[in-house]
Amino acid sequence: MKKISISPPVAAVLLAVVLFIFSGFLPNSFGTNTQAAVSQAVNIVRLSVFLGIIAAGQTLIIISGGEGIDLSAGAIVTLSAILTWMIVQGKDERVLPALVAVLLVGAVIGLINGAGIIFLKISPLVMTLGMAGVITGVVIITNHSNTPGRLAPIMTRVIARPLFLGIPGAIIIYVFFAALMWLILERTTFGKNLFAIGVNRVTAKLSGVNVTHMVLGTYALAGALAAFGGFMVVGNTGVVFLSLGQPFLFPSIAAVAVGGTLLSGGKGSYFGSMAGALVLILISSVLTTMQMIDAVRQMVLGATLLIILSIYGRQRGFRQ
Amino acid sequence: MKLSHLSLRHPYLLSAIIFFVVLVVNFYLQESILEGNTINNNMRVFLPLVLLTAGQAVVILTGGIDISVGSIVSIVSALLATRVGLEGTVNQTLTWFGIVLLVGILAGSINGFFVSYLRLQPIITTYATSFFFGGLALFILPQPGGGIPAKVANVYRTNYPLGLHWAFYVIPLLVLSWVAIRQTRYGRYLFAVGGRAQAAYETAVPVNQIIFSTYVVSGFMAALTGICITLLTGSGNPQIGDPMTLQAITAVVIGGTALSGGVGGIAGPILGALTLGIIKNIVSFANIDYWWQTFVNYMIILIALAAPGFIALFRRNRS
Amino acid sequence: MTTSLSAQNIVKRYGGVVALSDGNLDVYSGEVLALIGANGSGKSTLTKVINGVVVLDGGQLLLDGKPINFDSPHAAKKMGIATVFQELSLVPKMTVAENIWLAREPLRSGLFIDSKEIKVRTKNLLKLFEGTYRISMSMDDPISSLPPDELQIVEILKAVSIDPNILILDEATASLDNRQVHRLFELVRQWKAEGKAIIFVSHRMEEIMNIADRYTVLRNGKTVDSGDMKDVDEKALVSRMVGKETVYSLSREDRPKEEEPKPARLTVESLQTGVIKGVDLTVHEGELLGLGGLKGQGQRDLLLALFGDIPYEGKIVINDKEVDFSHPNQAIKESIALVPGDRSREGLLSIRSILENLMLPSWTNYGFPLNMRRSIEDGDRVASSLNLVMRSLSDPVNSLSGGNAQKVIIGKWLLKKPKILLLDDPTKGVDVGTKAEFYRLLQQLRSEGTSILFHSSDDEELLGLCDRILVMFEGKIRATLVGASITKANLVAASMGASEGNIA
Repeated sequence: MKKISISPPVAAVLLAVVLFIFSGFLPNSFGTNTQAAVSQAVNIVRLSVFLGIIAAGQTLIIISGGEGIDLSAGAIVTLSAILTWMIVQGKDERVLPALVAVLLVGAVIGLINGAGIIFLKISPLVMTLGMAGVITGVVIITNHSNTPGRLAPIMTRVIARPLFLGIPGAIIIYVFFAALMWLILERTTFGKNLFAIGVNRVTAKLSGVNVTHMVLGTYALAGALAAFGGFMVVGNTGVVFLSLGQPFLFPSIAAVAVGGTLLSGGKGSYFGSMAGALVLILISSVLTTMQMIDAVRQMVLGATLLIILSIYGRQRGFRQ
Repeated sequence: MKLSHLSLRHPYLLSAIIFFVVLVVNFYLQESILEGNTINNNMRVFLPLVLLTAGQAVVILTGGIDISVGSIVSIVSALLATRVGLEGTVNQTLTWFGIVLLVGILAGSINGFFVSYLRLQPIITTYATSFFFGGLALFILPQPGGGIPAKVANVYRTNYPLGLHWAFYVIPLLVLSWVAIRQTRYGRYLFAVGGRAQAAYETAVPVNQIIFSTYVVSGFMAALTGICITLLTGSGNPQIGDPMTLQAITAVVIGGTALSGGVGGIAGPILGALTLGIIKNIVSFANIDYWWQTFVNYMIILIALAAPGFIALFRRNRS
Repeated sequence: MTTSLSAQNIVKRYGGVVALSDGNLDVYSGEVLALIGANGSGKSTLTKVINGVVVLDGGQLLLDGKPINFDSPHAAKKMGIATVFQELSLVPKMTVAENIWLAREPLRSGLFIDSKEIKVRTKNLLKLFEGTYRISMSMDDPISSLPPDELQIVEILKAVSIDPNILILDEATASLDNRQVHRLFELVRQWKAEGKAIIFVSHRMEEIMNIADRYTVLRNGKTVDSGDMKDVDEKALVSRMVGKETVYSLSREDRPKEEEPKPARLTVESLQTGVIKGVDLTVHEGELLGLGGLKGQGQRDLLLALFGDIPYEGKIVINDKEVDFSHPNQAIKESIALVPGDRSREGLLSIRSILENLMLPSWTNYGFPLNMRRSIEDGDRVASSLNLVMRSLSDPVNSLSGGNAQKVIIGKWLLKKPKILLLDDPTKGVDVGTKAEFYRLLQQLRSEGTSILFHSSDDEELLGLCDRILVMFEGKIRATLVGASITKANLVAASMGASEGNIA
């Protein structure tokens, strides 16, 4: 028997299409109305942009191996959103400085994560979980007196509204972002070395890769990418609150897994994570259409990740 | 004896030192800490985390980790608050105590099944189940509320046998059971699986069953923790366990049990849990504005987690 | 008691790769059966079928003539089959005694472990190898603190402790020194006399000739020959292992005659690490310098220190320039390359492609964005120059056989055209054909002026290839063999720590 094999990202895209068609048959959905279907599809893709961008840093960290995972991504998103909101104060000319500032803050947080992991040998899960608490603490401190802030009109226009030929600006940004991620992973020494340290850090070191620098760089880059996610999210929602980023955390990891990136590191793609984000947003949207409460949605997401893990994530057994 | 041997045999040494240091600091801030009443009051607050930590330590010893314990605690709290209720009878409460322990075992079995028999990575698997269990807790009890009869709760809160809180019986019992377990093959298997699973397998250790069992133990201890914390608060909260997972892991690390598995025990982690409890005391006695408390608490956790790493860095630089 | 084990027409596949297509073997009480074959011929797989570690896909095992089926190592052990695993089955953080008795601890009242009994039994077992391990070694030492030879001894004792009827020794001598091998062979003869059946797997032909009564040869997953050792000589066995392939024989004539001394390329003065206790050496341009001695005498540390992978004290001079490496990438910049001792753990990125394995140290030369076409051209060129047997550069490197995987590791450095090549036992577990190709490659690199520091656990290799041989003993260089003093006798004597004065 010949085994039919589809690559995980392609499988995820197919799953997304199936889910989308399924969602069409639900009561109150687009049904056979093509125009409604197209606009619903565009909307789903637009919603997946934010999760997809937040999953970018997660993808890099998971590929880097060493049980890499970033549980501080949600908190960074919140912090970055609040900082953007506070810095911009409704002025267009402050948008770029705000973006630079939050990217730097994200990178520094990521760098601290990386330093704790590589120098103090704290497990990534524990380090980033603790960091999430510390960042949340910082957010509470900066925000407890309800610091005023406002978005700039240009952010709303570029991120939240249709920008070109009716295509939302977020999606256009996403396309460039994805191209950049592909370039980083597949066409730079950094990307090649990232896969290398994900598979085998001893081999990587003995082949001249500076594993310490790579880990620090990866976590810093991931922190900056999460911060960029926060910038995009606040551009879309226009409001900030303490739990803004947290709901993105679990799906960002699940998206990476659904996209076929090996959770033990060394193998994966950002295209997969994008497809994964699309699948998760569709699942959420289907559940919303079915009027499921948040608790159920949470259970379904948890179960989804378990199922995906059971398909892709099985490790070698003791007996073959 | 060589230093490396010493630290292998006495992984609690460091945790004991840290414990006494924070105890002294606490005593400085709050002199009544050593008085009977305060000790009892403290111990009843500390006990839930101690129980949770002990279960986590067993999983970590075999090289795994259980991120879902906090959510299991939450499920138990939600179940007791909705199924027993403030107006429930003693019998009802006891019945449901039994049921939630079974629920804990079931939840642990789910984790164990995925990790040992389907061979999934423990971190990500229990992270997924923690999300699932957390959703379940919210499904059972959407908002904090309900509770258990005050009559039952008071047994935990105020009526102690011989003037000592239950913790003074439970903790020694835990430690003694552990000492006994270490003298059995099961105890050796835990260390062997954590040390090098492939070698253990080739030596005819039933590796999968051992791994499975640790998640069951952890689920059971989480349920026990849920009972304890519901007794302590008297009310239900579907998210009460969320912050406890990281605390339990931190307590294990402070207690000298390496996250890589194969070394340690539960006495150290229990000391670690008590240490974290005392640190919380210190923070609350230090008169910190409430909006600083999340930050300070998590900073302390991060520092505690970083401590072994700093010591190792220092040692490496010196030699 | 007498016993016999027979494996008939064993088939074993890993994924799509057939490891064994027709494995046959018979072993009886009171004999030593040598299981021999080139790397990748299926020896390890066959032993793992016999001891229950892998599930077989076809064929039949017969124990004392009765069909038997093992569903775990435990089941095999219960039937009296014990294995000394090549990769060792020891738990690093547990003690020697705990490891030996793991899962078979004597119990008091059926529940608690009887540590006194364990002590007594362990003491008795350790007596078997008394005098061949450090006096300071104790049964309460954690396994992780033991040197490789003692680990091997513990692994052997662990297998013997169940008093097996059938004992499998899979490369059990690889980490042992001569004295320890000698003791092991005495024990093997004793066990044989007691009626045990012993399956002996080794790459060292000399040992096989010494200890085996019968042999079974595997080639490409098939048993191709069995017979009495009396009826064959070394040459005949080797030719059966390799089939029609020609055997590259080492002879001193292949080596260029002594020439003028070339300028020094690498000079090391009083180098020290945890294991190395002061080493001085010089490697000249175009010199193939051998590094011999028993296992674990500091050869590995020396190479890793020169490559900047572990901290050291002392002076390293390359081309008259003093260097101070704190990371291998600095060594690589000075045109040094290292082929590490443990292929899969230190040399390969298992699940990544052959191309990415070859390019790993070289990506920075391919610009931004990376010029993939040029990298594939370069990869193909190196692959064909090394006769790499593969389907495509994009296949994962773990689809290659051991010898071909080793070629990938060497290939990744050839791309960098190193001036100094450090080799840590590169032919370990490599089949005879690949070895021959490898020897030719070394000669070629040498003639192109590359300085090679070559550690090998195979004495014949060192004697046959090297211009000079440094013999290490307990972290120091015990002897330097040059010209006429390059003899097996001298090499062995120095390896065993004989004083330099006694070496001609």
